[in-house]
Amino acid sequence: MATLSIRDVRKSYGSVQVLHGVDIELEDGGFLVLLGPSGCGKSTLLNIIAGLDDTSGGDILIGGRSVLDLAPKDRNIAMVFQSYALYPTMSVARNIGFGLEMRGVGADQRKRAVEDAARMLQISHLLDRRPANLSGGQRQRVAMGRAIVRDPELFLFDEPLSNLDAKLRVEMRTEIKRLHERLGTSIVYVTHDQIEAMTLGTKVAVMKGGYIQQLDDPRTIYERPANMFVASFIGSPAMNFLAGRLVPDSEGVQFQASGVSIVLPTRNRPVDSERPVVLGIRPEELRTVPRNRASIMGEIDVVEPTGPETMVTVQVGEHAIIARLPPRFAGRRKEPICLAVDPASVNLFDPDSGRRIDI
Amino acid sequence: MIESKRQRRMIANIATYIVLASLTVFCIGPMIWMFLTSLKYEADIVTQTMQYLPSRVTFDNYVAIWTQSGFPRLIGNSLVVTFLTVTVCVVTGTLAAYAFSRFAFRGRDQLMLGYLVVRMFPAVMMIIPLYVVMRGVGLVDSRFGLALAYTSFLLPLFVWMLKGFFDSAPKELESAARIDGSTRLGAMVRIVMPLARNGLVASSVFIAIAAWNEFLFALMLTTGQGSRTWPVGLQLMVGEFQLPWGVLAAGGILSIIPVIVLFAIVQRTMVQGLTAGAIKG
Repeated sequence: MATLSIRDVRKSYGSVQVLHGVDIELEDGGFLVLLGPSGCGKSTLLNIIAGLDDTSGGDILIGGRSVLDLAPKDRNIAMVFQSYALYPTMSVARNIGFGLEMRGVGADQRKRAVEDAARMLQISHLLDRRPANLSGGQRQRVAMGRAIVRDPELFLFDEPLSNLDAKLRVEMRTEIKRLHERLGTSIVYVTHDQIEAMTLGTKVAVMKGGYIQQLDDPRTIYERPANMFVASFIGSPAMNFLAGRLVPDSEGVQFQASGVSIVLPTRNRPVDSERPVVLGIRPEELRTVPRNRASIMGEIDVVEPTGPETMVTVQVGEHAIIARLPPRFAGRRKEPICLAVDPASVNLFDPDSGRRIDI
Repeated sequence: MIESKRQRRMIANIATYIVLASLTVFCIGPMIWMFLTSLKYEADIVTQTMQYLPSRVTFDNYVAIWTQSGFPRLIGNSLVVTFLTVTVCVVTGTLAAYAFSRFAFRGRDQLMLGYLVVRMFPAVMMIIPLYVVMRGVGLVDSRFGLALAYTSFLLPLFVWMLKGFFDSAPKELESAARIDGSTRLGAMVRIVMPLARNGLVASSVFIAIAAWNEFLFALMLTTGQGSRTWPVGLQLMVGEFQLPWGVLAAGGILSIIPVIVLFAIVQRTMVQGLTAGAIKG
């Protein structure tokens, strides 16, 4: 177990800079998720932590000790790869024990450690097989076994679930969370799946274009995104954006757009004059209300019942927004619909910079 | 409609078999002819009417070439030269191919291209400069010198072939091994080499056969019995006034036996290696 400090880490390939001064601190036993679209630099950052890639600047500390000069094998880390990277010529048992074998651990002790890890992951019956004879989920478990058997200071996961089918993915996600809670080892986890980030992380770094867009706990990232990119990347269906303007009002300020009028409480400074803004509303914050209490008026476009809820696409002025409504919602296409939203749950963004505005 | 389709397919099949069969006859025919000749008495070889199958069978030719000429010496030299060539190629070529496959260094592509360019020029063009160099360092008429000469044109081929096999081994495996405690070289030996085994075998056999059969370099770079290889030795047995056909044929048959044995042993691995390379490399 150890803390991880990433300090001003930069990386460029030739003239292309893929990481622009990344700073992250992870507490001992924390679970850091690096989240972002492909090409955002998250895997590069993970490879740098592992020592598989060099930095162009900055420092990496594991347990307070700089590891930049150490080879991957000397960093006391373990990594689970997207392709699992199981050694095809070795049995499952030897795959799991390979790290111990390389470190000169005796055969008896190694056997015991491999059996313990296999039991924890319920793969004891597979130890004599070759990786080629395993299913995707089993390979995933072997890859995790190989990581935990060494009892490292830090686990690195590189999109470990992206090659699994949907059902297995949910199962293994739970397994990883259980493992983390049981072992208490710090983890860095790379994914482009926002559900994995939300469910697993104690800390999420949303990345784009080599910059950290926001580094926070999952709840803050979901409820108070730092900018429109984070807001749209997290959550499915994505956050609704409505372009409008803020108008001073007796009770605070009012957000106005065609078909929308919402009074927003102001905490600090009153808005002096009209200014253009983008309003962000999560689909689940919308609810249907009687006409006299409506703050958003629109027309139903598409109704999609999913079982536990109904997704309704509503045309509001020139915007199409999605509302997540109860399962028995009875509206039909072309009918008018009146919606309201809790003013405390909305987010405001600057239309030019995309950054969050706090009022 | 269906009838005509089937007919057409049948015709196509027949045509395919005719082409393949004639190619096979073309390739195997001379070897069978050589084998039959090696079993004939000298008198039955040069006759007025063509005698296809030997009427009398004898193994005298085999006994003659093995006991009455320097043939065992020639075969021995060929074995040594081939062994040296393959050893040098495998040791240096494997490391080179791995470096080409895994490291992005300045001039890598140009160097790989350079390797190909070496293959572009005819061997005749290289022979004279190579002879001068070999003479300069005193390696003319030595088995090691000949092996080095073979390496000069076989190593690039070996590196190109093997690089394809290394390329198809996933990089993540080595990353995993390096995190698990291997050095880079250790990861290559423990993880990548076993994976590229088929390719390594295929490439090595390819090199071995090429070195075993080589004639031109051997003719130029060897002068005495001490280092002469079998293709040259056999050729030199063709006298000015006498052509010992039966003995020559027996020598030919004996010389291809090692190739056939080698191929039989590694056939499965080699075919797997070559086809894998064809798809992935």
